[in-house]
Amino acid sequence: MKKLFLTLVLVLWASTAIAAEPIKVGYLTPLTGVSAAFGIAEINMVKIAVDEINSAGGVLGRPIELIIYDTKCRNEDAINAVRRMVDNDKVVAILGSIQSGIEIATASITNNAKVPRISTGATNPFVTVDTKGKVRPYSFRICFTDPYQGALAAELANELHKTKAAILYNVGSDYAHGLREYFTKDFKALGGQIVADEGFMDADVDYRAQLTKIKTSGADVLWLPGNGKDMALTLKQMEELGLDDITVIGSDSYGEFMNEIAGNAMVGTYWINHTYLEDPNMAPVFKKYKEVYNDECKEFVFATMGYDATYWLADAITRAGKVDREAIRDALENTKNLQLKHCVLTINPEDHNPYKKSGVILKVDNDLKAKFYKKIEPK
Amino acid sequence: MENLMQQIINGLSLGSVYALIAVGYSLVYSILLFSNFAHGGFLVISGYICYFILLYCGANIWIASCAALTGTGISAVIVERLAYKPIRERTPITLYMMIASMGMSIIIENIFVVTVGGRFRALPPVIPTQPINFFGIATTSAFDVLSLITAVVFLVCLQIFLLKTKWGLAIRAASYNLSTAGLMGVNVNRLIAIVFFTAGLLAGVGGIFLSVRYTLYPQLGMITTKAFVAAVIGGLGSLPGAVIGSIILGLAEMLTAGFISSQFRDLVVFAILIATLIVRPSGLFGISIREKV
Repeated sequence: MKKLFLTLVLVLWASTAIAAEPIKVGYLTPLTGVSAAFGIAEINMVKIAVDEINSAGGVLGRPIELIIYDTKCRNEDAINAVRRMVDNDKVVAILGSIQSGIEIATASITNNAKVPRISTGATNPFVTVDTKGKVRPYSFRICFTDPYQGALAAELANELHKTKAAILYNVGSDYAHGLREYFTKDFKALGGQIVADEGFMDADVDYRAQLTKIKTSGADVLWLPGNGKDMALTLKQMEELGLDDITVIGSDSYGEFMNEIAGNAMVGTYWINHTYLEDPNMAPVFKKYKEVYNDECKEFVFATMGYDATYWLADAITRAGKVDREAIRDALENTKNLQLKHCVLTINPEDHNPYKKSGVILKVDNDLKAKFYKKIEPK
Repeated sequence: MENLMQQIINGLSLGSVYALIAVGYSLVYSILLFSNFAHGGFLVISGYICYFILLYCGANIWIASCAALTGTGISAVIVERLAYKPIRERTPITLYMMIASMGMSIIIENIFVVTVGGRFRALPPVIPTQPINFFGIATTSAFDVLSLITAVVFLVCLQIFLLKTKWGLAIRAASYNLSTAGLMGVNVNRLIAIVFFTAGLLAGVGGIFLSVRYTLYPQLGMITTKAFVAAVIGGLGSLPGAVIGSIILGLAEMLTAGFISSQFRDLVVFAILIATLIVRPSGLFGISIREKV
């Protein structure tokens, strides 16, 4: 009888250990819409990271459970998704979302509910600080910001000995406006000159009039702070108009899907980015991706960011020592010299941005692959 | 000077694509006196048929285009049977058909969002796009020249069809008065089917060119707003009007963007529309101003 009782206790204990309550983590990502290609690669990679963490015993002995919501690249869908994560799913933290507009639109919900979040690709300054410059206590990001990206682009243009720049940007996009402004400021400071500053409307698909103007302006470099589709169409139309002697520098919205639209017009273009495909630290992870999904990890940038953000959160929960939103927030804020795959991360508590993070320049080669060109360390 | 020539060529090539679409609006309007806003959806249907045949059947562009044009023509007839026929048989008020067409355009767009997804697709490079230089004064792509020629060929064919064939005669008669044409022994339902098939076919040509040029996505049909404006400027119901309205619009857009500011582009386009409506409410070539909706 005693033996039976003991067995029963053991069985009960064992079953509670196996069924340790999972840590619910919300993941916000675009699975449909303009940025779907990025979101799908990102979430696939994050699933790998979560599996790795769980099979190594989880965090504080508890497995991570991902709760994924599609933003559809639309603010209103993202707001719904975040409300559901916070109110119904009761997640401890939210990861993901690569779009600044979505992050800004949902920032007040998570900050009021005190749910820490890490954005993987939203680069607008106001994602982590409010318009008065005060830090949003629960918002963090793993990527660099637009002022920094604009400066990198200006620096690259200067290094390539370009002095006359043209800009073609979407007048309806916060992201494009920011990048245009910061590039202009820094390029002028480096002694360059903006000879054409052309805008287009959100739904426009024809830029030939603007490109013709840029052609006659005598520009030797074109800065494209757009989304993947706009930039690819621009490159295609540049090729058709014979604008092949202008060097193109594009923003971090680069994606390999642009090849399908622009084809050979992609060759020789430069792209400001967060990471690169040949990164030796990431090689084993990309290999695993290929084994699991039987496909190359083409949109590698946000996949890498998502992977590292998941490990960053796991690290913060471990340091916090308990699954408590406030403690996790404090741990995220105090992140120092954390070795991740694509960078060593230190967070600036003033603005919740990574501190002195290096940027990468990619250049598209003749085989249409974006190769590592150089790394720029912040000054 | 070089800039001016370049922008004029850009404008003509844009205008020619508008013309293909605008003619479809005018054709339907001339018979049924309503603006068929589902017209943009026909472009999308054509683009996707062409895309999937090129991709999965390994067919060449000619076969794919023929299939796309026929498919789009048939879809247009089906749309008419499903959405407009029941309405026109019950009420003479064409406003209801216009509202139904708005619904239809959203339905078509969303069918594609749900079935094939919202991502951007690029057609394989089936139409040459290499730059062509005109006597050293302007550069355009081979594609623009081709789209201009194709638009002209199709518009001439349409004109021959309307002027030289029996059904063309019936369509012209019906455009004066549909019910009288019916009383004179014209099979009205078949006539309307032919009109929709033709409009769908022309939209199909536009759809292929637009999806090669600007990639293919379910919202591609939105581009037809400009073509519709062109048809209104030229005078809804008038085919030469639609063509001339399109050319005016294409040129106005490119010249504004090139010499004033690209942000003024839509402002100028819609200002021309308002100005035309104030000066000539029926458009440049429109004849009738009754019951316009």
